Amino acid sequence: MSAQRQILPVADQAQVRAYARRLTLKYPGRLALALGLHGLAAVAGLAGPRLLGELVEGVRDGTGVNVDQIALAIAGFIAVQAVLIRFAVYVSAKLGEKVLAELREEFVDRVLALPLSTVERAGSGDLVTRTSRDVDALSRTVRQAVPETLIAVVAGAFVLGALALVGPLLLLPSLVAVPLLWISTRWYLKRARDGYLRENAAYAEMTDGLSETVEGARTVEAFGLQGTRHERTDRDIARSWAAERYTLRLRTVWFPAVEFGYVLPIVATLLAGGLFYLNGWVALAQVTAATLYVQQLIDPLDRLLSWVDELQVGGASMARLLGVAGVPDDRSAGDRRPGGERLTAEDVRYAYREGHDVLHGVSLEIAPGERLAMVGPSGAGKSTLGRLLAGIHGPRTGAVEVGGVPLVELPLPELRGHVALVTQEHHVFRGSLRDNVLIARPDAEDAAVRDALAAVDALDWVDALPDGLDTRVGSGGLAVSPAQAQQIALARLVLADPHTLVLDEATSLIDPRAARDLERSLAAVLAGRTVIAIAHRLHTAHDADRVAVVEDGRVSELGSHEELVAARGAYAALWESWHGTPR
Amino acid sequence: MRSLPVADPGVPDARSPFRYLWWIARGQAGPLLIGIGYAILWWLGQAMVPLTLGKAIDGLTARDAESLVRWSAILLGLGALTAFGGVMRHRLAVYNWLSAAYRTVQVTVRQATRLGPTLPKRLSTGEVISVGNSDIANIGNAVDVLLRGVGAVVAIGTVTVILLVTSSQLGLMVLAGVPLMAVAVTPLLRPLHRRQHRHRDLQGDLATRASDIVAGLRVLRGIGGEAVFAGRYREESQQVRAAGVRVASIDATLEGAQLLLPGILIAFVTWRGAHFALDGTITVGQLVSFYGYALFLVGPLRTLTEAADRLTKGHVAARRVVRILSLDPEIAGEGTATTEGGDLVDAASGVTLEHGRFTALACAVPEDAIAVAERLGHYTAAEVTFGGVPLADLPTREVRSRILVADNAARLFGGRLADQLDVRGRADADHLREALHAACAEDIVDALPDGTDSQIAEAGREFSGGQQQRLRLARALLADPEVLILIEPTSAVDAHTEARIADRLAKARQGRTTLVCTTSPLVLDRADTVIFLQDGRVRAEGAHRALLTADPEYAATVTRGEG
Repeated sequence: MSAQRQILPVADQAQVRAYARRLTLKYPGRLALALGLHGLAAVAGLAGPRLLGELVEGVRDGTGVNVDQIALAIAGFIAVQAVLIRFAVYVSAKLGEKVLAELREEFVDRVLALPLSTVERAGSGDLVTRTSRDVDALSRTVRQAVPETLIAVVAGAFVLGALALVGPLLLLPSLVAVPLLWISTRWYLKRARDGYLRENAAYAEMTDGLSETVEGARTVEAFGLQGTRHERTDRDIARSWAAERYTLRLRTVWFPAVEFGYVLPIVATLLAGGLFYLNGWVALAQVTAATLYVQQLIDPLDRLLSWVDELQVGGASMARLLGVAGVPDDRSAGDRRPGGERLTAEDVRYAYREGHDVLHGVSLEIAPGERLAMVGPSGAGKSTLGRLLAGIHGPRTGAVEVGGVPLVELPLPELRGHVALVTQEHHVFRGSLRDNVLIARPDAEDAAVRDALAAVDALDWVDALPDGLDTRVGSGGLAVSPAQAQQIALARLVLADPHTLVLDEATSLIDPRAARDLERSLAAVLAGRTVIAIAHRLHTAHDADRVAVVEDGRVSELGSHEELVAARGAYAALWESWHGTPR
Repeated sequence: MRSLPVADPGVPDARSPFRYLWWIARGQAGPLLIGIGYAILWWLGQAMVPLTLGKAIDGLTARDAESLVRWSAILLGLGALTAFGGVMRHRLAVYNWLSAAYRTVQVTVRQATRLGPTLPKRLSTGEVISVGNSDIANIGNAVDVLLRGVGAVVAIGTVTVILLVTSSQLGLMVLAGVPLMAVAVTPLLRPLHRRQHRHRDLQGDLATRASDIVAGLRVLRGIGGEAVFAGRYREESQQVRAAGVRVASIDATLEGAQLLLPGILIAFVTWRGAHFALDGTITVGQLVSFYGYALFLVGPLRTLTEAADRLTKGHVAARRVVRILSLDPEIAGEGTATTEGGDLVDAASGVTLEHGRFTALACAVPEDAIAVAERLGHYTAAEVTFGGVPLADLPTREVRSRILVADNAARLFGGRLADQLDVRGRADADHLREALHAACAEDIVDALPDGTDSQIAEAGREFSGGQQQRLRLARALLADPEVLILIEPTSAVDAHTEARIADRLAKARQGRTTLVCTTSPLVLDRADTVIFLQDGRVRAEGAHRALLTADPEYAATVTRGEG
């Protein structure tokens, strides 16, 4: 199914790297502090093997070694290391949290800036997964993988340095596993990224399916779709399993190579060091310390390699998060500002799919304060035209302008002051009822909120709620009916108070009689505002100043209700079919 | 490894979170036990390293080259064994992780389909979605850690034996020290978990906020509330950050403690060991292995701490899953009666749907009409009889397959359009065409690249409200139920289309029991009988035109206030 569905883009590796670099270096001071603390901790950790080496040699020789002093020193260094680690972990976690918060906030900003046509096509599931699972995965990366990797590099470097100090000759055998580690890790990393991307995508499909089933549970039961949904779930799981198996195969090759690569240097150091000792080239203390150091090298190396793995996962998630920004913007703000509120559409064409225009050269001029109704059969292009007039989409060719400036060249806040759109979609946000109305004008007083609700005939039922405006609605809160949701949407618009309102069947879910009352009280509040109402109920057209009939992507008739009825065209026929029954 | 998912996930034990986890574990007992076996092998391979190292050092101090080479070779062999055990353990860990996670998805989906209409009433969508997004992962983690956890216990046991055999005094020291170290960090765990819990809750809220933004993005773009929502998200994100830092402060202390506590033990063991070595009670090599063991034990101990943590989280996740799994449908539907079918009668309102007729239900208050439809469709328990048999006595599945309530909240599903319309899979191409014609939905299909073979996005998002409504109607007609109850099926289409649909609907349902809840005069005019409902009771019944003249209230209701 993903073949057809246009999934949101994914950033490429170069973009991810550049972004990661920028992020890492954003707070150099704090980063240096964290790394410094970890470095000191690593140094404190190096004392143990060295002291033990001395102890071993002293004990073997049986000559005046102060066991108590050395043991105390070992304990002291461990205590220092523990304290340093405590602060190092805390400082780096704090930094990680900070960066992470910025990251997810930037992501949400990007989501909020997504061109609308993209959101509609990409399916919310993809975006939901990105906002949840990918943000989660990335948080693991930023909280742990990035600091751990840097720490491992620091610690590893110190261990190697200590090894060199113990005896440069003993450094050589420790490098024996480098080719094995290098080649296997490269082999793995080359394949891992795509593998993990596929894994994430398959997982997204699975959670998509889950949410579809859950949200449509009633429909599933009504149509007896239980079996179908179970099959879909099992199919999604099978696909996810296939993707997981691929990466598992990669790790099946890589992991043993790496684990064997850890033990190889220990054996080599022990054997070579032992032979060096037997030949009298090095002391027993050196061999002991070197072997223990090499063993101590495993930990940072293992952290490094295991987090490289995690970095890949994080990188894949990051690619998906950044990809959201990769959606080309559908507008670029210019400097010109509208001179007036006259809204015009000039020879406008628009296509959702290339080569399939849904508007074929529409021209319209709407005077400030005018009430224009758009009617026409479903699928004729009314909603598309409405979105163009609200500046949501830019036309493919032609121009939609307010006061002589194309809508898509206005910065968003400016545009909202001129035009706002309310559609038949009735999402109620999680939060209080007040919050839901306040969206476009967060500083409004309660009195203004109440006025707005009164204008859409909603104040009565809102006041009847036990908590009034404070009632929690949306997911997890009080369930409001679709009709009430539409009233809330309209109240938002009333409060936002733009010069021009585009209402796309904004009252379609409200019972027809109430809808007409609502439209009348709304009209009183909106006197002087330009209103473009897309409606399938003809009373809306009847009440408007002018009616535009949209058919097959064109405006076929335009004029006042009376004019159009007198013209005896398509509109007149519609009107008659509406009033064909005796009253 | 058997391929996943399992064909039948079985019936979960939802009596408690623990029982649920136990049920999961039992379901994959084989791979789990094999995995534990490999984990033990892996740990043991590592546990033998300090011993071997000590032997090699002893060979060295004795200037015995042959012994050095032999023990070095054994060390290499242990490395190979560890590598093999490690990768096999990992493979089985992943398998067990996925197996548990997938099975949880399966039972959740099955439960969602079992609950049907009860689900949206009892749970918020976010709650169930979080099962998919984080809970299954935590359950997977809990199962996964069992492998390493059991292996760690065995490793600790083995090391204890080795130490006791080498030197009972030092062995006892380690034996007493290890649990002491483990216990010593526990005071930190409770506040850690509390803070983690708080962090997780806030994270959950933040995720819900993000989903809410995504779901309402169209609205936000329409009205311009982006800045407010970005601000609100930022605020909550900063709360999550603060909670994260609070977790980190304990986490960091724990990290330090996990180094310090075994460290003290190491120093102590080394100190005593060195004295023993000076006395000649143990060899120098054994001193090195004691040092190595005290160091090694940090690993399995840490795994045990991690296991406790993951099992706790798994338990929390399982609690949420169990909460969903333990719900029961509001309508039990355990009835076993049968009915020939016939008239459908709602006692509360007095509405009777006569068998085979096209009835319309008009009502000034739409909620009243919906209440009647919900009762007739057995969505709310009520005194409703179908062919004289109470609906409550019939199995729900039977009721659903014979009486279909199609409302505007019904969902379209993603997939091939033809499959999504002909959900019962019984229609041929002609039927499909007829239904699309009746619902005036041909133009929608014509505009698609592959007609009815086109793939449609989840929830039919690419279609407008009016288009979705017509597709839903086509789907309802294709299901061809004995009784079809439609709630405002033409509310989102224009007048022109509405008139056509009304005509075609009557023809398509000829001879079948049909109820349409509507106030559209166009639809009411096509009905065999119109029932006019007021205050939840039947006020008048008759043909549309007759009622128009006979009942001014009715006229006022259906002329849509245009009088």
